Amino acid sequence: MTPAAKRLSVVAAALGPKRTREELLPFLSDGVDDDDEVLGAIATSLRDLVPHVGGRNHLSSLLHPLELLLAVEENVVRERAAESAIAVGEQMYDEDYRAEFVGMISRLATKEWFTARISACGLIHVAFPRMSSSSSSSGGDGGMRMAHLAHFANLCRDDAPMVRRIASRNLGPLLHTVVVTIGPSCLDEGGAVSAILLDLYESLAGGDQPDSVRLHTTQNCVHLGQAITLMKERVLSSSSLSSSSSSLSGGLGDGVLGEEGENTLVRINAIVKRILPLIVATIDDRSWRVRWTAASKFASVVHAFSKLDGSMDALVPAYEKLLQDPEAEVRTAATFNFSEVAKTGAMVCPAGWAGGGGFDVGPADPSSRRIPVALRLVKRVVQLTEDDSENVRAALAMVATDLAPVLGRDATITHLLPPMLLLLRDSNSEVRLNIISSLSLLNEVIGAELLTQSLLPAILDLADDGKWRIRLAVIERIPLLAKQLGKEFFTDRLLSLCVGWLGDDISSIREAAAADLKELTALLGSEWAVQNLLPRVKQMMEHQSYLRRMNAVRALSLMATAMDAHTAQWEILPILLEMHCDPVPNVRFNVAKGLGMIGPLFQSSYEGQILPILTLMMDDPDRDVRYFATQASDSLRAFFGTSNKS
Amino acid sequence: MDAPSLASTDSVVSSSSSLSSNIIHHGAQTPAAPSSTSTSTGAAHPPSQFAAASSSSPPSSSSAAGGNFAASSTSTSTSSSSSSSSLDSQIERLRRCEYLRENEVKALCLRAREILVDEGNVQRVDAPVTICGDIHGQFYDLVELFKVGGECPDANYLFLGDFVDRGYYSVETFLLLLALKVRYPDRITLIRGNHESRQITQVYGFYDECLRKYGSVNVWRYCTEIFDYLSLSAIIEDKIFTVHGGLSPSINTLDQIRVIDRKQEVPHDGAMCDLMWSDPEEIDGWGLSPRGAGYLFGGDVVAMFNERNDIDLIARAHQLVMEGHRSMFNDALVTVWSAPNYCYRCGNVASILELDENLVKSFKIFDAAPNEARGAPVKNPPPDYFL
Repeated sequence: MTPAAKRLSVVAAALGPKRTREELLPFLSDGVDDDDEVLGAIATSLRDLVPHVGGRNHLSSLLHPLELLLAVEENVVRERAAESAIAVGEQMYDEDYRAEFVGMISRLATKEWFTARISACGLIHVAFPRMSSSSSSSGGDGGMRMAHLAHFANLCRDDAPMVRRIASRNLGPLLHTVVVTIGPSCLDEGGAVSAILLDLYESLAGGDQPDSVRLHTTQNCVHLGQAITLMKERVLSSSSLSSSSSSLSGGLGDGVLGEEGENTLVRINAIVKRILPLIVATIDDRSWRVRWTAASKFASVVHAFSKLDGSMDALVPAYEKLLQDPEAEVRTAATFNFSEVAKTGAMVCPAGWAGGGGFDVGPADPSSRRIPVALRLVKRVVQLTEDDSENVRAALAMVATDLAPVLGRDATITHLLPPMLLLLRDSNSEVRLNIISSLSLLNEVIGAELLTQSLLPAILDLADDGKWRIRLAVIERIPLLAKQLGKEFFTDRLLSLCVGWLGDDISSIREAAAADLKELTALLGSEWAVQNLLPRVKQMMEHQSYLRRMNAVRALSLMATAMDAHTAQWEILPILLEMHCDPVPNVRFNVAKGLGMIGPLFQSSYEGQILPILTLMMDDPDRDVRYFATQASDSLRAFFGTSNKS
Repeated sequence: MDAPSLASTDSVVSSSSSLSSNIIHHGAQTPAAPSSTSTSTGAAHPPSQFAAASSSSPPSSSSAAGGNFAASSTSTSTSSSSSSSSLDSQIERLRRCEYLRENEVKALCLRAREILVDEGNVQRVDAPVTICGDIHGQFYDLVELFKVGGECPDANYLFLGDFVDRGYYSVETFLLLLALKVRYPDRITLIRGNHESRQITQVYGFYDECLRKYGSVNVWRYCTEIFDYLSLSAIIEDKIFTVHGGLSPSINTLDQIRVIDRKQEVPHDGAMCDLMWSDPEEIDGWGLSPRGAGYLFGGDVVAMFNERNDIDLIARAHQLVMEGHRSMFNDALVTVWSAPNYCYRCGNVASILELDENLVKSFKIFDAAPNEARGAPVKNPPPDYFL
């Protein structure tokens, strides 16, 4: 049944348009099946019938089966039916659309069974732009549009909380559509927004609603912020176009805005003043799910309102409150937003200026000192490093260094560096790992020297960390540190650590340490390497564990590739060749691999020293030694063969 | 196929107190009573039906396969470079957790069979080597194991069975190990665990996983055929005996294991079954196993076995130990467990046992691979409660 339902278009093509309309579609409307999977397949494939019903003026015939599907109980089926209906609607002529599609929405919105009303919630804002605005002269409160806003308002007051929940989810998108469709005039006193939608915002955010309804408030407010910011920009840009003498910064009250434009800005301020308390209320909501939603979306909220006067003075304190929420989950979600919130360019009063005061919207006191949001929030970092929850601290460690570029060098040093040092010594390994992994950003802002001096003790602590991934993260930063510290300081403080890792218990650490030796040799010179690294590597060559000896072989070959050929030939090659008679085959075939890698450096000793050893190893009792010796010999032969000819 | 009703295929090493409450299905056979046979003579002379079963095993049911063993002396030492390079690329893909195509699996299994058929029931392994316990399809934890112990072939490995079932990636796990075995036969040894069985894999996930990933059971069939060729145990430098489960009352000497015809499905009872199912326990002599197959064996049994066969240590897997490894009976036996956070929920650490060339032991403990090493997003989004 399902496969057939997925290929309705094949059936329709065979039947032709007339029989599709008169037989297939009524058959589908007849309740062919009540299996959700089949219904879902029908819902999806009905949109494929658009070309098969005999032209755009017959498209409404497809809406009838879809209308039935929009009222079924399974919400997956309804969602697919809604997608198909929208797709079909897009192809319809305006006239049919208004009569049939919008008519369908009206019927769904007033159906007895709540599932139909749920479908209506999601369709009203889609259809809104194409609804007629018959009395358009007075600015867009057309009869059909007003009627559907009224339908939507009823859905928001529906007895069934399931309907209110879906209505709440669609309120923001509807508001955005209304504002964009009608333009600034809808913000007027008595316009759609003020008269209808803001009331709905307030009632759906109200404490008497279930939390599943209230938790859409945050996202709805994001939609509202974006929509009115758009209107504000439109008013400001039209004014700056109309009077070329004034710049945008002239702004409010300069007299260059028309009376209408000025009026709009006043209205926008009034709306913001009405909506901010709703956002602030989500922060104090009794349900942690509502607060969690607010916390996880707070960066979007801040960005949506960042260009609206006065909102930051309400939102930033609210955000600070989220960071101190009693639930660790909420604090974690808020912390993940930390740097995004701080990145907003808006200015805000310093902490403590507004005290416990509310949200005083309106032109700020020009004499008051205002600071960037980042500068105010950075004071909270210290507090977060002391959070009881390791998830909060791990989240902080992940995002905190993003603040550095926003703050600039001086503020980073004063405010950000001390808490970062605390995080480096955190008791939780994930916190430490997160902060180490993000240090390079800090490095760029405050300069390597200062970073190294203040971080070195903490990094030394981490070098012995019980978790091997932490040690690995430190090892990967060693070459950078060496470059910053200089030869003497590095040799003094970090050298023994680096060679110590060659004997680590964990294979990945030993390998990374060997790779570090190559970098260090390249950085600090062959002579330095021979003096400081080689003795320790030689020691490792006599270790009783074949795994350590093998790693020493690897380290030797790697170091040789970073050395000048002469030093490598006299200092490294003899030791490496000596290892070919190690009792353990694994060591021997790594000697072969190493010779294959560094052989190209030693043209003079290839014939006399390397080749005889490789030839010997090609008769080794172990097949893997024979294999890798043959590989090395072949590749070297190819290398010197070609280079001799050319 | 009539599956044995198994109480549990893995159990935590625990005190023997829970033993009595478990239901035991073990066919018609009555194993030696734990208390009465605790003397040395009792352990040395198991009930007669066991002795009969083990001595009669070579010409038993699958005699055709027995002939197959003897006949195949193919030269596996010559690995042509072209086939090893295609194998290298398959190993690369498997290391990225991509599974092979069905025809590649078939070819791989054919080559694996040639190698495994030459191995003894007590496969000789040279030190140095690293011993690993159960993996159970936890592919990313196997990758973590190699990060801790070193990649194959740089380090030598001996895996004690139970590669498949329970985890999400039994196919990738087993094929990676098998491909490594084919590519480096001297560097890695695989022996059979109780989960390397047609009946068990149909219940605990490997069968379903093959069906889901390949759409047919062919790959499962190729793999389970290879299971029959896996060795039953290994001996390291004649001093350390390794096996998946433990000892059997029908086996006193290693030679008795050597004569088992292993090329068959794991039987419901008898020596071959016991090697894969038994568990050590703080008791005297032998006891009934709560698993419904194999036996419990005590310290005296281990001491006797080790002395008779001149070995120092038995290393085995088969039982979850929260701390990764556990020694018993004055270090005469050790359990090694290599599946960290077993079944993604037990919260245990895992371990591997590194033996250097002088058989000096050192355990490496490791945790489950972190999420970002599993190809999962770094931040775990909280579950969506809000739908």
